[in-house]
Amino acid sequence: MTKTSKNNLLTFQDIISQLQHFWADQGCIIEQPYSIEMGAGTFHPSTFLRAIGPEPWRTAFVQPSRRPTDGRYGENPNRLQHYYQFQVLLKPSPDEIQALYLESLEYLGIDPLVHDIRFVEDNWESPTLGAWGLGWEVWLDGMEISQFTYFQQVGGLDCSPVSGELSYGLERMAMYLQNKDSVFDLLWGKTPEGEISYGDIYHQNEVEMSTYNFELADTDSLFQWFDTCESECMKLIEKDLPLPAYEMVLKASHSFNLLDARHAISVTERQRFILRVRTLSKAVAQAYYESRETLGFPLVRA
Amino acid sequence: MTKQTLLLEIGTEELPPKALLNLATAFADGMRDGLDKAELGFTEINHYASPRRLTVMITELVTAQADKEILKRGPAIKAAYDDEGKPTSAALGFAKSCGADIADLEILETDKGSWLSYLAQETGEKTVKLIPEIAETALSRLPIPKKMRWGTGSIEFVRPVHWVVAMFGKETIDCSILGIKAGKQTFGHRFHHPGPIKLKSAESYLQQLEETGKVIADFDRRKTLIKNAVEKVAAEANGKAILDKDLLDEVTALVEWPVVFSGVFDKKYLALPNEVLIATMQGQQKYFPVVDKENNLLPCFIAVTNIESKSPDIIRLGNQRVITPRLSDAEFFWQRDNKIPLADLRKKLGDVVFQQKLGSLHDKSERIISLASYMANLLGADTTLAERAAALSKCDLLTDMVREFPELQGVIGRYYATNNGEDKEVATALDEQYMPRFAGDQIPQSKTGQIISIADKLDTLVGIFAIGKAPTGDKDPFALRRAALGVLRIMIEGKLELDLEACLKKAVGNYNDALFKDQLARSDLVVQIFDFMMERLRRYYIDQNISPDNFEAVLMRRPSQPYDFHRRLNAVVQFRKLPESESLAAANKRIGNILKQVENHDNIKFSHDLLKEDAEQKLANALDSIREKVTPLLDNGEYEHALSELAGLKDEVDTFFDDVMVMCDDEALKNNRLALLLQLSNLFLKTADISRLQN
Repeated sequence: MTKTSKNNLLTFQDIISQLQHFWADQGCIIEQPYSIEMGAGTFHPSTFLRAIGPEPWRTAFVQPSRRPTDGRYGENPNRLQHYYQFQVLLKPSPDEIQALYLESLEYLGIDPLVHDIRFVEDNWESPTLGAWGLGWEVWLDGMEISQFTYFQQVGGLDCSPVSGELSYGLERMAMYLQNKDSVFDLLWGKTPEGEISYGDIYHQNEVEMSTYNFELADTDSLFQWFDTCESECMKLIEKDLPLPAYEMVLKASHSFNLLDARHAISVTERQRFILRVRTLSKAVAQAYYESRETLGFPLVRA
Repeated sequence: MTKQTLLLEIGTEELPPKALLNLATAFADGMRDGLDKAELGFTEINHYASPRRLTVMITELVTAQADKEILKRGPAIKAAYDDEGKPTSAALGFAKSCGADIADLEILETDKGSWLSYLAQETGEKTVKLIPEIAETALSRLPIPKKMRWGTGSIEFVRPVHWVVAMFGKETIDCSILGIKAGKQTFGHRFHHPGPIKLKSAESYLQQLEETGKVIADFDRRKTLIKNAVEKVAAEANGKAILDKDLLDEVTALVEWPVVFSGVFDKKYLALPNEVLIATMQGQQKYFPVVDKENNLLPCFIAVTNIESKSPDIIRLGNQRVITPRLSDAEFFWQRDNKIPLADLRKKLGDVVFQQKLGSLHDKSERIISLASYMANLLGADTTLAERAAALSKCDLLTDMVREFPELQGVIGRYYATNNGEDKEVATALDEQYMPRFAGDQIPQSKTGQIISIADKLDTLVGIFAIGKAPTGDKDPFALRRAALGVLRIMIEGKLELDLEACLKKAVGNYNDALFKDQLARSDLVVQIFDFMMERLRRYYIDQNISPDNFEAVLMRRPSQPYDFHRRLNAVVQFRKLPESESLAAANKRIGNILKQVENHDNIKFSHDLLKEDAEQKLANALDSIREKVTPLLDNGEYEHALSELAGLKDEVDTFFDDVMVMCDDEALKNNRLALLLQLSNLFLKTADISRLQN
């Protein structure tokens, strides 16, 4: 493999295309972001649902991720309520998965003999997805730049084979590669009119969305919407439609996150809401497994 | 017998740092067990551990089990030969089972008769044949917090396994362990020496790994290197590192080739509470904070990395860039929180559920106010301060800072209360309410802190017991055992003259009727929790090596004030050092047995006029004069002094039992003697039931 870009400063969009290129070469299907709000790439059906059952899968894609409580009105140099993850799922996880990941960093020009790269235990658990796995945060000079997880259970179902999931925090890596102290100073790309920074594109969005998330989001409507998504989801599962049912899980989950940002949910209530989403996730996972089984697990090829 | 060094190395992906040392130790322990069971002798077992390896090295391990002679017993001689002296089928069968000729059999003579026997030679198995199973067994018993699978495999381990070294001296042990074919090839540092290293011998493991592989596999050596380097770097920054023991272990478990350096942050962040700075450095970034000679934090940190970088400054700058936004976030919380006085957060506590059936945190703080006020009254402490501290006790849980650093609950409350101009005693109590925070931690020092801490814990105990979630077995999700011990320690070590039973009654009374069937359910609960706490008290004293019968002697009296319990127990401990104690304990046991045979012995009247024998007169007189001395002592809780006075009765008591027949035929005399003994016994019982003491 050629390391094409080592000497040039990578723009934000370069980083994305480099990673797509690298992982396409590793036999990954390059997918596109999912079109519903979600907290992380793990929620993308191509991760959550594809990790279920015996069918092998290799994919990589960018996923815009929303965490309303992490908003800082654009005032913190690296906290955002909307940011990008680069998501890779390798199922089954290959023996050389760590080496592949490190190779992808080198591909971006990160020299492991210059930087301090470490795999620091971080056992991942998503209570709302009924999923857990073991793995690490990857540290680059003390900064967490990726999550690395071997899924053990998804939607309450044991994973067999096990999927390896890599989630790159694109902004954090870009800050390193571009040597910037603030995410808003990142160079996104260049136009004939000049350079466009991350802040040019997203700063106003952070200010406005933080205001909405923390101050204005209408909690009564959100509570109602949560209930609606929940009942729709159950209805769709009964009709053997796990994919639209899963969209309802995503919508319920995002409503919950907004309510959380509004401090509208107390500690114990929080538990109850998480449990409600998890119940949906598990039901969807089971329904999805059964639907693939009915189709004869078409991606299992001899 | 020849001996060799055994080396086993399990090469893995990065292992969990907090579990690492335990895993390595358990691996060594498991090997020791296995070798002992297989009767394979050795000199020493060493374990090594790094992020990517668990290793056991065993020196001077025998190369085979010892040969053994085993005497096998066959049929009795009578049954072994027929009348003509020919071997029977039983004898032939036995010979066959031994794989021997009938002529090789011997006769075993015993006093119970003679048997046919065979001295079999059992050749010891070779060590290399036994090691694989011993190793697999040891590995299967590792205390792995969470096991995982990977790829398409079904093997479970801490993290995926990539290589296994199994060598005996210079030779490979032919086997597979954890699904991997073992060899003599290890791997060095992930980046400095990613390729394989062929080991020359088991003994050269550490040296080859360090010299070629840039891996210091010996955990303890790595730890010492890190500690020394951190201290040196701190000194260069004109400071002293705060070397938290657990953090040092964790950092040691995260590197194979430690390189230590320091970085700086903007000194404006020093305006934040020290605890916040330390939590950020230690907890989030695994840095060592640095203080000056006066123990003030310096705007600097020490980090341990795993690489001898070509450009160390890049790593330094990178780390500095990480800590800044974290501190900036903390500053954001600090400024935002400080805009709202703690007291204003109180009404919002109603939105936070303490426990579904036990109401909100606001309800809980109301109950704490009531109980704290009650206790402050009993103790003659300032009730206004206690009530104020109780009212504010849970408010900091709603601050952004505690959301970010949950472990700083209480500490943050103290800072904000101080900033709000609350009384110093109140601010201190907010912090101290969570003490003791861990086993061996100090108890609250301020009176108000002690009161709030007890009130909070008793309220939780009562509430959780009331909804039927008392601890069972190793399940104690609400940490009630720790809470109970905390209360007892504060009452005892704080020398608080508080009646536990009365406090529990008050705490139960604070909960509404919906929780309880009836009044009886309330008083039953008090007894249940009191008993539970007495069990914790038993453990407390066992941990202090106080003999259980001493504890039992006091417990029989059920003093309801833990501090009173403690003084009685100390008195019993001292009493047992007296030469008189053994005989007096025996006498009290005897009195107990005699009184057991008599119904209604409490109603018997004692009269001096009925004393007949010399010995009983002397005992009665001695008792009278000692009672006079001892009663005021007992009233003052001076149990030790009282018991030492009572020890003076030994001779009179001994003579009484030697000379006087208690259960005599004369009913009046008998009753009078019983009454005398009852008086004697009661005097001792004011401290403890010393009849419980074991010789």
